[in-house]
Amino acid sequence: MKDFALDRLVPAHVRAFEAYVPSPPDDVLCRRFGVPQLHRLNNNENPLGPPEAARAMMAAWKPEHAALYPQGDGWHLRRALGRQFDIDPEQLILGNGANEVIAFVIKAFCEPGDNIVTADRTFAVYEWLASFSGVEPKLVPLRDYAFDAAAMLEAIDDRTRVVFVCNPNNPTGTWWTHDELDAFMDAVDGRAIVVADEAYAEFAEDPAFPDSFALMQRHPNLIVFRTFSKMWGLAGLRIGWMAASPDVAATVKKTSISYSVNLLAMEAARAAVWDEAHVAATRAHMREARAGVAELAARLGLTMIGDVGNFCMLRLPVSDTVAHRRLMGRGVMARAMTSFRYPGWLRVSLGPAAAMAAFATALEEVLAEG
Amino acid sequence: MTLDPRAQLPPGPRHAGIGAGFVRDCAIAGGAEERLANRLALIAEEVLGAAPANAGLVGLALADRRHSMRLSVDFTASDLDLAGLDQSRRGDIEEGEEIGLYLAARLADRLTTEPLDRGGLRLSFDVGRAYPAMTPDAAPAGLGPISGPAADPDDATLALLVQWAEAAELGGPAFRTAPRVLDQRAQGDLFARVALDARRRPVGGLFWHPFGRRLMELAGPALLLPEGEARAAVAGALLDAALAGLVRKKIQGLVVLEPSPDMPRAGFETVGHLPSADGATWPVLFRALEEDPGGISWVPAVLKDWVTATTRRLALGRDIEEPARPKRATGAAMAAETDRARGRVTLRSLIAAGDAAEVAAGNVALFRDQGFSEIRALLDLGKPDQAAFAEGLVQAGLAPAALIPDAAGDLLLLAAAE
Repeated sequence: MKDFALDRLVPAHVRAFEAYVPSPPDDVLCRRFGVPQLHRLNNNENPLGPPEAARAMMAAWKPEHAALYPQGDGWHLRRALGRQFDIDPEQLILGNGANEVIAFVIKAFCEPGDNIVTADRTFAVYEWLASFSGVEPKLVPLRDYAFDAAAMLEAIDDRTRVVFVCNPNNPTGTWWTHDELDAFMDAVDGRAIVVADEAYAEFAEDPAFPDSFALMQRHPNLIVFRTFSKMWGLAGLRIGWMAASPDVAATVKKTSISYSVNLLAMEAARAAVWDEAHVAATRAHMREARAGVAELAARLGLTMIGDVGNFCMLRLPVSDTVAHRRLMGRGVMARAMTSFRYPGWLRVSLGPAAAMAAFATALEEVLAEG
Repeated sequence: MTLDPRAQLPPGPRHAGIGAGFVRDCAIAGGAEERLANRLALIAEEVLGAAPANAGLVGLALADRRHSMRLSVDFTASDLDLAGLDQSRRGDIEEGEEIGLYLAARLADRLTTEPLDRGGLRLSFDVGRAYPAMTPDAAPAGLGPISGPAADPDDATLALLVQWAEAAELGGPAFRTAPRVLDQRAQGDLFARVALDARRRPVGGLFWHPFGRRLMELAGPALLLPEGEARAAVAGALLDAALAGLVRKKIQGLVVLEPSPDMPRAGFETVGHLPSADGATWPVLFRALEEDPGGISWVPAVLKDWVTATTRRLALGRDIEEPARPKRATGAAMAAETDRARGRVTLRSLIAAGDAAEVAAGNVALFRDQGFSEIRALLDLGKPDQAAFAEGLVQAGLAPAALIPDAAGDLLLLAAAE
């Protein structure tokens, strides 16, 4: 080979992007931080795990099936979800986690030079996927911890293709009501696709939370994301899905990757649909754990926000990244929020009781160190 | 595709003049003043003339970096002896051809190396532009309190801020010579946030520039308002704006080597202390922008106790390992970045080899003899080879001063004040 000039082959928007580096596995972290075990309260997982039927399905699963390709587009799961929400299965698309569905949507509607509109302090993947696709992320500051509808409308221009609304928002837990989302869709007036990312929707107990599938009937430019990672305890299997009006779904299908969801994930998700007892038990756990964190926050004089989802945020009197390291040294992994543009805040998942107790003890010690 | 002029020439004296002429002509054509073009040409001539015969074709490329010009010299062959670049070898090489490499290193304001594919090496010689002396205008009386968030300023606003800061001697060396600051920013070597009053006049600014691979060094803030709440509000807004502009990018943390009294300290941790020539010390501040998932620190025995204790104090998750000696037996070299006005030199690893300790000690002695009063060295503990310099640095009187965290390789700052 004469001269391999890699830079010549890499688009500028990819060169400018820094690859995301996930944290190492627990055994490595434990060794580096000198702890025998690690309570993971950083990824908003469900401490109750998957519903009973999904567990049974996985226990009975035959390993020899691993040699087979899955069915390519989740035929049975889409029908199960369609029945649950009264939606034509052709309007549903599965992905290898909701992250992949975000990529499908950006690829379907955006080309370099276009932009997406979202908030500055929300789930980072909208911004990242846009950036390394050559699409400008226009980031609108949150207002009172919530998506600012008026400012987002103002940010939409003739190159805006997709508006991402994380509802409830990760990490603040704030959410738009059905009427607020409806009014926003009216104001967008078809100028852009609007994604309501409802990864945490099943945690919302307030009847004012949007029925987004119903709103799709009125607003064909609305796409709804859901995931099996949060409420359904299948984060390790990576499966998410989206629903859209027929023409929008047909467009996104062109950029979706068939066969990207594995067989076990599809079958476990299908078994999970739609276990109301599991939802009720998980919600009860979250109420109790959230009350525990609220009591801790009150005792330590910390501001706490977030009342929907399986997480909450605490404002610390010390650096969040320093607190993160010191908590790691005590076997507790929470999320430092500087990188979410919330310097000084810590997001903690509402995990198992033992983990929450370890977190409370460790946080008190860390704050006592000053 | 870059349009920087480039050439390839065989090593040795016969082509050195051709290379020098090429570099000089290209520099002049690119708008460099005579003095700058001549220095670059001399560097090219000395490097080509002293390049080992087995170097293969030597690549030359000239890049206009606005505030400086950069001559990059690419050696595609691996395992070359470029030890002559090290300034401490002056005494060894005065009779030999390596004097050329030594001269080239001294002619540059900054010399860095980076590996090329398949074992090659790129030497980058930066020579700064000269800016005409000017008397900066003083800030007008009656600047108002901050109005709106601090922002990335336009050129006119940034120039005004620097002039006013320079006239009042605020902010430190980064806030001097407005045309240079504008060029640094345009080149991507400096970033700024400026706070404005209701009449859109600058009332304060904060700068940052790259420090190592994944960190930024903060400079300032320069605050033009009198002491009081309004001044503190400007400092806070500047830092908030800087953080908002830096997160979710490749930057892992912010380091403050010379904290201004106006720098808000909340959120920063003290990762060490630097000595000054008058016997005082000041803190080195650090603020991580990303979670630190732990990493490996390659630490020589002579520094193990200090690094281990500091790693624990900072609650860093690190596998602390002792590195093997460099594979190469001899030919170690260090790069020196000098600031003669302040009597400061910072040494960095250039080429690691078995004689690294001697070379490190030699460098410290050289700059001590030249009257430098602040001698520092920066070692990347993520790179096992660099540890080889530590013993010589410590023997020569440098002591570990700060550990700047980066999971991909903590930076160990050693310092001695004479």
